[in-house]
Amino acid sequence: MQAPIDLDVPNSAAQAEILASGLIHTGFNCILQMPTGSGKTWLAEQAIAAAIRNGARAIYLTPLRALASELVARWHTRFAPTKVGIFTGDYGVTGKPYPVPFRDAQVLIMTPERLDACTRAWRSHWSWIPEVDVLVVDEFHLLGDRHRGARLEGAISRLRRLNPFLYILGLSATLGNRHELAEWLEGVEYQSNWRPIPIQWRIARYRRASEKPALLVEEVKRNTSAGGKSLVFVQSRRRAEELSRYLQTHGLRSHHHHAGLPHEERRKIEADFRNITIDVLIATSTLEMGLNLPTRQVVLYDVQAFDGIDFQPLSTNSVWQRIGRAGRPGFDTQGEAVLLAPVWDHNVNYYEQERFEPICSGLADSHALAEQIIAEVTSGLARTPLQIKRVLNQSLAAHQQILPDVYAAIIEMCNAGMLKQSPADESGEVPQGTFYLQATRLGHVASRHLLTPATMLLFKRVMDSEQALTFFDLLIMATCSDDCEPLLPVNFEELDALNVLLAREHSLLLQRSQCQVIQLLGVRGKRLLSALKMALVIRDWTHRSDTSTVAEEYDCYPFEVERLAESLERLLLAMSGIVECKDDRQEEPGISERFVPLSERIQALRRMVASGLDECAVTLTLVDGIGPKLAKKFQTIGIQDIEDLAMAEPGDLRQLPGMSHKRATRWIEAAQSLIRSKSAFYFKETGPAVHLASSGWPDDVDPYRLRRALDLKIAGVDGGRYLVTGGLEPHIVQIDRHSLSCDCLDASKGYQCKHVLAVQFHKGDRKLRELARQLGSAHHEKLDLFSLWFDGRISTRSRRAS
Amino acid sequence: MSPTLRALPTRQGAIRFPTYIPVTTFGEKYPLDNLVRPYLPRLAQAAMVSFHYARQIEEFPRLPLLVDSGGFASLFNTARVVRVGELGTIEINIDERIETIHPGSVLALQEKIADVAFTLDFPIPVGMDEAEAQTRQQLTIANAHWALNNRRRRDLPLFACVQAWDTTSARICAQAYAGATFDGIAIGGLVPRARDLPAVLAIVAAVRAEIGNLPLHVFGLGKPELVEMLFKLGVDSVDSSAYVQLAAEGRLWSRPELHITQATATDRLHLALCNLATATGQSLPLSISRIVFNTHSLQFNSIDQDTAHAHDRAL
Repeated sequence: MQAPIDLDVPNSAAQAEILASGLIHTGFNCILQMPTGSGKTWLAEQAIAAAIRNGARAIYLTPLRALASELVARWHTRFAPTKVGIFTGDYGVTGKPYPVPFRDAQVLIMTPERLDACTRAWRSHWSWIPEVDVLVVDEFHLLGDRHRGARLEGAISRLRRLNPFLYILGLSATLGNRHELAEWLEGVEYQSNWRPIPIQWRIARYRRASEKPALLVEEVKRNTSAGGKSLVFVQSRRRAEELSRYLQTHGLRSHHHHAGLPHEERRKIEADFRNITIDVLIATSTLEMGLNLPTRQVVLYDVQAFDGIDFQPLSTNSVWQRIGRAGRPGFDTQGEAVLLAPVWDHNVNYYEQERFEPICSGLADSHALAEQIIAEVTSGLARTPLQIKRVLNQSLAAHQQILPDVYAAIIEMCNAGMLKQSPADESGEVPQGTFYLQATRLGHVASRHLLTPATMLLFKRVMDSEQALTFFDLLIMATCSDDCEPLLPVNFEELDALNVLLAREHSLLLQRSQCQVIQLLGVRGKRLLSALKMALVIRDWTHRSDTSTVAEEYDCYPFEVERLAESLERLLLAMSGIVECKDDRQEEPGISERFVPLSERIQALRRMVASGLDECAVTLTLVDGIGPKLAKKFQTIGIQDIEDLAMAEPGDLRQLPGMSHKRATRWIEAAQSLIRSKSAFYFKETGPAVHLASSGWPDDVDPYRLRRALDLKIAGVDGGRYLVTGGLEPHIVQIDRHSLSCDCLDASKGYQCKHVLAVQFHKGDRKLRELARQLGSAHHEKLDLFSLWFDGRISTRSRRAS
Repeated sequence: MSPTLRALPTRQGAIRFPTYIPVTTFGEKYPLDNLVRPYLPRLAQAAMVSFHYARQIEEFPRLPLLVDSGGFASLFNTARVVRVGELGTIEINIDERIETIHPGSVLALQEKIADVAFTLDFPIPVGMDEAEAQTRQQLTIANAHWALNNRRRRDLPLFACVQAWDTTSARICAQAYAGATFDGIAIGGLVPRARDLPAVLAIVAAVRAEIGNLPLHVFGLGKPELVEMLFKLGVDSVDSSAYVQLAAEGRLWSRPELHITQATATDRLHLALCNLATATGQSLPLSISRIVFNTHSLQFNSIDQDTAHAHDRAL
């Protein structure tokens, strides 16, 4: 039965113009650049409705699971009785099947990652791929995303080759190179600046950072007192929570929102913001894309964002993604965008000009390119170097002339053991002498788990270099990989505590020098610190088995501990897939071996991470029928590990509910049999403890202030007065006799401020110069957390071209 | 091709004439067919499958399916035509067992799955002894009448097959069907004779003249220029697998000088679709109009061959 014909009337001149011209029905690929809230989704619905009328299917891609859920509910009604399916990471796992199977869904809402997986395993999806008429790609600018862009591009490329009839409808509010993208797709494009509600742009200036909270209160109250609501974007979760509390103390009904909160709580907060319960929402970037929360006022409290490693200035695209939802249709006559900026920063004026950054292909990154080469080979869609080259010559990266050397990449991957050559068959499909490329087990594992080749190579490199990795080593390996998420940042104040905690762990990797560690693990600086912290978090989880306690200890959120555990479980599964069996246990019976094959160690760790079990409890799960929950229960009755179980009497186990004598006996016997070949000490860590370098830093020089001082400049000298610039604002350092004084707030509180340190450094202070050299030096005999913190310069300048 | 108002009603919709009908197969023998088949409804009105592959269908394409009898198997050197009563059958030696194709088994399968059926016929190779040729023709005619008398499905159009070795024998065969209530006539055996174009056209004209207004189908001739001539002579439909065979070789009908080496599976898919579009006279959706004349890999074909060989050696 066909869906009823969509009789919606356009709501805007832009929509009317597009429909009248037939732009989205020509069959050409089409890119629409229109502001947030101007009706792109409505246009997408027209394209989808047309596909349905033709008896064909439509795919709608969105990067946000939350938006996908919102749309499937809405479209279930709108396109009824047509079946609308949702295919995101929330489904498709054991126990939660897709509500509508692929082959039954006429409208398929999915994330780019899901489409990527479908195109890699296209043979399993051949019942529906050929029937797709239109692929709607919402947030089209995602092509330029550092992590997800190349996967989206690869998925689009494969889908176009598999189904040459479908056309692409790309939607975005922020494209700096729309023409180039349309050219790449050999299609048409359309741009409109029309907004349903015009936005008034405003910059609120402050002299000192300490003035910002009060300034925010002033701006927000001006809005809320007139009946409006405010959405405030900040650069960190901590700041979101602190500011929310601050606003509450000033009588405002505010709440924070970020990815550290559980899904249900976020949904509730969003619902409360929509109704009258919350007036001000303080958020990080999670609301940046796609969620429908229009509001009269949007405030950018920070013009920086955390990119996983450090804070960087916001791009124009990001700024407009955030402020684009200012102004509610039907409620406001105009929306307001407020940017908080220091008085001296004139760069912020640039944002208002809406000069969006160009979208550059993610395939320019050699890691991403390697991953897509693997994807092509494992999918069978390109099997020889020439075929791969031709396919990639059609990419956006090639169109933009930023594609790395494909043949060189293939050679490298062959040398690294991710690809192997096999002679072409005699079917005559390829000339004699040509060979096919095949993914090795390493390459297959990477493709199956959607892991980057860089991750697989890291694992292989470390496992080749060290034979007897400890649990902590395995965790570090996983947390150093590109595919570990989320990333937990490290604060400077945490370094001492991390030193202490690391000293309790057993690790072979961290016995190496700092240079060697960095080279082996492929990460450095704050990223390495982050990896060490996350390894500690998960190790703690295996000991405590309580996410709340762990989260409190490490100043993060329980939700983050859970997600990190899931991510590491997946990475450990991949590690299992590539480890070669190196079981060289002696066969003599009755000898309990202390050497554990790496494969078993990884599997044990996986179970530990999945369920929050320590290495003693995990030995209980070696018995058939004893799962993680039961293992924990055993520990409550004093049976800590498999040796305890082997020595127990059936009556001891009867304390557990539902435990029969027969089962208890069976398990005890199984335990006894197992300990003849395995031992409870089997998984106990016996590697050397971690000894880190102590910094030997003098107490009277604050390293953080010295580090900041190195970024400052002496702009002028007049007698004993030094003009110091490069910070938030310029300051004067005065030399009287032998003492230095500064007019900054830090100095007024009695600290030796960074401006004074800058002047002393400039004058050649030997001690400071030596300390500065230590800050920059990476050649440490042992791992030094302190030097890791200061490794790499932090640019505080804008990245925009002047 | 010039459209007409002639059409053949089937239970899956009418087939408008004239039309080019792509041949497809099922199973694992020709993987390219499995790639192309889902797209056939976009470019063609119907698809042809032979009896042998029709038995392997698991999922039916969404367009009318023409099922021929598989009579060309009689040309295999492991097969022989055997008279059983008044009818002709084919015995094929497969791995030391005998498989028999009987008009009854063909009709049974066609009644089950086909939208248009063709009677069991026996192609007459060029140079065959005239006595044997006549035997084959007689059995072909007998099988056709048997199928007509035993057909149970009234919505299954049944085409009687003409097998002949020259114009006269073609006329005789066609006359044998006059007066019967066949839904159409199909001419087989022209592929081996395709080089003798005048002879082929004469046979077609002769049959056309005898069968009145009945739909006329020609098996196996699919080259676009030849098809155009046949349509002008009054042929209503042709079938051919040439569109996909050419694609499997990396070739494009509309650019005969082109040859793609190391074509990927999707390259061959695109080529097949372009060839089919050329044959059916359909214009592809605008978004891929470039592919009709310049599929993705073509523009790099000449440029990168030398480079590719150099890199292959390096790897």
